[in-house]
Amino acid sequence: MRLILWWSVLAAAGMAASPPGAALDRDAVALQREIAAKGWIVYSAITDRGDWDLFRSRPDGSERQNLTRTAETHEVGGRFSPDGRRVLFRRIAKDTKFNHDRWGAMGQLVIANADGTNPVAKGAAGDYPWASWSPDGRQVACLTKTGIEIRDLASGRVTRTLDRRGIYQQLFWSPDGRWFTGTANTYGENWTVIRIHAETGEANPVHTFQNCTPDWSPDSKRIVFSSRPANQGDDEGLSQAAGQKPEYGWTQLLIADGDGANRMLVYGEDGRHIYGGALSPDGRYVLFTRAARDGGMADATIHLMRLRDAPIVGGVSAALRKRYPQAKRGPVAPVAMGWEPHWSSGPAAGSK
Amino acid sequence: MRALVAPMCLALAACATAPAPADPELSSLGKHEVTAELVEIPGPFPANDLYNYAFVFKYRVRQVHRGSVPAGEILVGHYNPRKARAAAADEESGKIGGRLEQFRAGDVHRMALEEPLDHHWIGGIIDKYFEQKGTRYWAVWTNPASR
Repeated sequence: MRLILWWSVLAAAGMAASPPGAALDRDAVALQREIAAKGWIVYSAITDRGDWDLFRSRPDGSERQNLTRTAETHEVGGRFSPDGRRVLFRRIAKDTKFNHDRWGAMGQLVIANADGTNPVAKGAAGDYPWASWSPDGRQVACLTKTGIEIRDLASGRVTRTLDRRGIYQQLFWSPDGRWFTGTANTYGENWTVIRIHAETGEANPVHTFQNCTPDWSPDSKRIVFSSRPANQGDDEGLSQAAGQKPEYGWTQLLIADGDGANRMLVYGEDGRHIYGGALSPDGRYVLFTRAARDGGMADATIHLMRLRDAPIVGGVSAALRKRYPQAKRGPVAPVAMGWEPHWSSGPAAGSK
Repeated sequence: MRALVAPMCLALAACATAPAPADPELSSLGKHEVTAELVEIPGPFPANDLYNYAFVFKYRVRQVHRGSVPAGEILVGHYNPRKARAAAADEESGKIGGRLEQFRAGDVHRMALEEPLDHHWIGGIIDKYFEQKGTRYWAVWTNPASR
């Protein structure tokens, strides 16, 4: 019943015209069942009041709970602590204009229990920009104009700084603590996903040219990220329909080793921009968001697939299928209307 | 007819050499104030309807009015250079501006500058000179200047 309802919601949102909605066949249903009990996810979604709240659900979208319920503020960018007991997010004044790639430096950092209780703001608006958990959850790495700052959460003190190597958004500390990744200006390109060694500060490109929203695999060896390659070919009017230039292209989800090797397509779909890749705690599944317009948040939907099924090409996608003739068509399961998901298997993530 | 043309030429010449009106922003913002010739715009400006960025241009310094900027060529980042300077500032850029309407290679600008660029702007930077080491300046205020 729940699956049928979701299908209705996505159909109403205009998603039914193209798979992954159409992939809600037995394979997609099996996928939903397979992951339903594998921890919790947190994401932002727009409410009936028109603001953004933070939601928690099972990875199949079930047991959805609003964690914040704040009419006066937006809550975005939820990330569970490594042990799953807490969640950090940004609280942004409702009249503030924010977008899909600036949210991490906006509003206040708030840390709450994983069920949303006991929210505690850290610093003033703009403090702790792009805060990302350390492996032990006692520190956060923050991205400032003058560098990456490691801050102790209990005292608020900056305990260490290092060069940000051109990273300007989406800083994420690896689960093993040895690396940072982020979106950077470097090697003559902006929108380059890079990796920085946390001790030496040495950096390497993961992928240059029009990339963003990187995140780590649980073993810290691979990085999932979004990329919009040049020269994608004729998209048969989809760009025009979306109000973008024909040569603009569509953003795809990729994965690569931390040194940039073994790069491969995970999911792509002509006519949709794919962002916010987030791997499951066991590294076997990946969540992503799917939007009709670049930077679109309000119409974004979260979807799920097995990493072993990659590459998957969704929708008609004649141009993309030409490039990836061996790509599968699914299964891809819809999860929720929402944006920027994160996944935890932590023991307390599901308990009040 | 000649009698008409001559005064017009004199008037135009006078306009071209008249000192620009004083601009308190130029003389107070940033660490440095220079007059410099825009030597090169390395490539077309991408659209900034969705994403904001700074674009690094090459200048040749003609005069240093304030601060210390080396003689010769310098690299200066301008925020969203498709826009007139008076319309470029937003909540991301912080205070920037000036009277310059449009960037054209060969024009001369009087600028208030900060350094380094990435301590003043955290966002996309298009730097086609990335293989050249050295300071990237951040243009805080940019006015046209006479050649």
